Amino acid sequence: MRNIVVYIFSLMGFFAISQNKQILYGFDEIPQSLLLNPGGRILQKKHYGIPFLSHIHVNGGSSGVSVYDIFKDGNNDINDRITRKIFEMKNTDFFTATQQIELINFGWVSKNKIYFSGGIYQEFDFITYFPRDLAILAWEGNRDYLNYEFDLGEVSTTGDFMTVYHFGLNKKINDKLTVGARLKLYSSMFSFRSVNNSGTFVTRLGDENSENIYEHTVENADVTVETAGYASLRDMDGAGEVAKNILGKALFGGNIGVGVDLGFTYQINDNWSVSASALDIGAIFHSKDVESYHAHGSYTLDGINLIFPSLADGESTFPYYTDLEDEIEREIPIDTIHKGYTQFRPVKINAGLVYGFGRSNFSEACDCLNMGSGGSHIQAVGFQFYGIFRPKGPQVAGTLYYYRRLTDFISAKATYTVDPFSFYNVGLGVSANIGKINFYLGADNLLKYGNLANAKSVSLQLGFNIIIDD
Amino acid sequence: MIRSIALGVLTICACLFFTACIKNTDFDQAENIVLTPVIDLDLIYFNLRTSDFLDSINATPILTVRDTTQVKFLDDSTLLKNLERVEFYFKFTNSIPRDFQVDFQFLSEMNDTTYFAETPVDQGTLAIPVITEFIENVEGDAIGQLTQANKVVVSVTIPASSENLDGSLNLKSKATYFFGN
Repeated sequence: MRNIVVYIFSLMGFFAISQNKQILYGFDEIPQSLLLNPGGRILQKKHYGIPFLSHIHVNGGSSGVSVYDIFKDGNNDINDRITRKIFEMKNTDFFTATQQIELINFGWVSKNKIYFSGGIYQEFDFITYFPRDLAILAWEGNRDYLNYEFDLGEVSTTGDFMTVYHFGLNKKINDKLTVGARLKLYSSMFSFRSVNNSGTFVTRLGDENSENIYEHTVENADVTVETAGYASLRDMDGAGEVAKNILGKALFGGNIGVGVDLGFTYQINDNWSVSASALDIGAIFHSKDVESYHAHGSYTLDGINLIFPSLADGESTFPYYTDLEDEIEREIPIDTIHKGYTQFRPVKINAGLVYGFGRSNFSEACDCLNMGSGGSHIQAVGFQFYGIFRPKGPQVAGTLYYYRRLTDFISAKATYTVDPFSFYNVGLGVSANIGKINFYLGADNLLKYGNLANAKSVSLQLGFNIIIDD
Repeated sequence: MIRSIALGVLTICACLFFTACIKNTDFDQAENIVLTPVIDLDLIYFNLRTSDFLDSINATPILTVRDTTQVKFLDDSTLLKNLERVEFYFKFTNSIPRDFQVDFQFLSEMNDTTYFAETPVDQGTLAIPVITEFIENVEGDAIGQLTQANKVVVSVTIPASSENLDGSLNLKSKATYFFGN
């Protein structure tokens, strides 16, 4: 148990709302911004991502606690800090981590002025909500919580490890409107989820008519853990064999899903533009290597009732303990299910409102699809919205930003993001085109870089592309 | 001017990245994390009648009755790792006008006695049942002995029994498990 506690608290803090790429969104110089809005503006004729280096993204966080909160140097006991945090945190607080590595990314403008783009990236996405009641039960026990109903429904977690194959198109419809769409095929390598659980556990003090001192009751338990890609790993020997099995599913060897990204950019006038996108509208259909577990029922434990039967010499008494185990398994059976299930992807919503100003005196790079559309301002301020649908509801964030094209080859974007967990998230992104090589780097929560342990979240994106303008 | 700003931004950016650090933290404290839950669980219960102390065929007294149950969780070294103390609480309600002697003999899988506890139970009457409470605290080295057990034999001894005797002996019990270092 102690190892679990250490693991959870080690996870937190290093990695905002997972998958929010507020720096990259609308940063048109970076081709990967098309993955956040397929209807974004295109500034190049072609682009090729440097394989495995075109987009590296690490993002994660914990909404309720930082590493510093637990491991800070100090005289007070670490166990007191953990106790305080367990009671401070809510069951809607969460730990999350996302990692993406792009294997291939490419794009080109066709003769009919449609910009096609595609690629492959690997993604790991994990979220677990803080099961506050169960944490209290594990940390404090039940003695001081008689009649308190511990909520088993607080268990809510999902994790996915997949490869995504995508191909999209971007079309400037007229001077004002650019639209885009992207088709995605998901090849799931490993997936698990445990959501929509319910039930309670309570210890009540019995009265004089009760069988024993207490009544330990599990009421209306309905807890499900669904896995795909796990059963075949269970009996494997060694990390190498497990890794080989997982990677073997990367090329559509596992479970397949399909989804789309949709987006647009609308130039309201010379200065104002608005954009929005919806990403990962789709689902993965888990049918192979599926193993799910479903525990359901109610049971009250009173202890072991001794009967004192009359026994002949050598005769054994009743198998009370085994009978009790059987009774519990009968009343709260754990079914193993191999039926496939459909898992909807967490849909992400991005939206932005931008005011551009200041004309460029730089030697204009190719604004290939947006000439005269107001996209050549060297400065902009804007507001962005981000939302992602998670098991316990949407998580949202708002970002104010300032964009500046510093030279004809360097652009930068500074962001200030507010989400329910941080009011001090300042980020910075830089895109540099050196010859045909585009390099970009973006990170948020920079104010915490002086001591990352203080950060409840950190996000980092970087990559290299080859940009061809002519 | 713009180039200066660009240089400045890049410098700040670079400084932030290359000076990023984790400080004023001590991860060695993880070694000091100790879960100290206190868990209360029901144990055994019974309800013995005076007829249980008589042979049903020839009505001869049975002065000691015994029963045994497994308590598999007790020798589960994973489950009870870091167990510091166990406090057993037994509550007898006796409406039989006889004192009783009750023994709790904890046995290992090989039937070796690893721990033993006993208590007298006061006599009562049908009109006024008497409650006897018995608390057995197990800690220190005794915890190691207790957690080698995986069954318990309960023996209830009555000094004398007859057909005219009436009433019942009821037991409710729980164990409180204190975890720590």
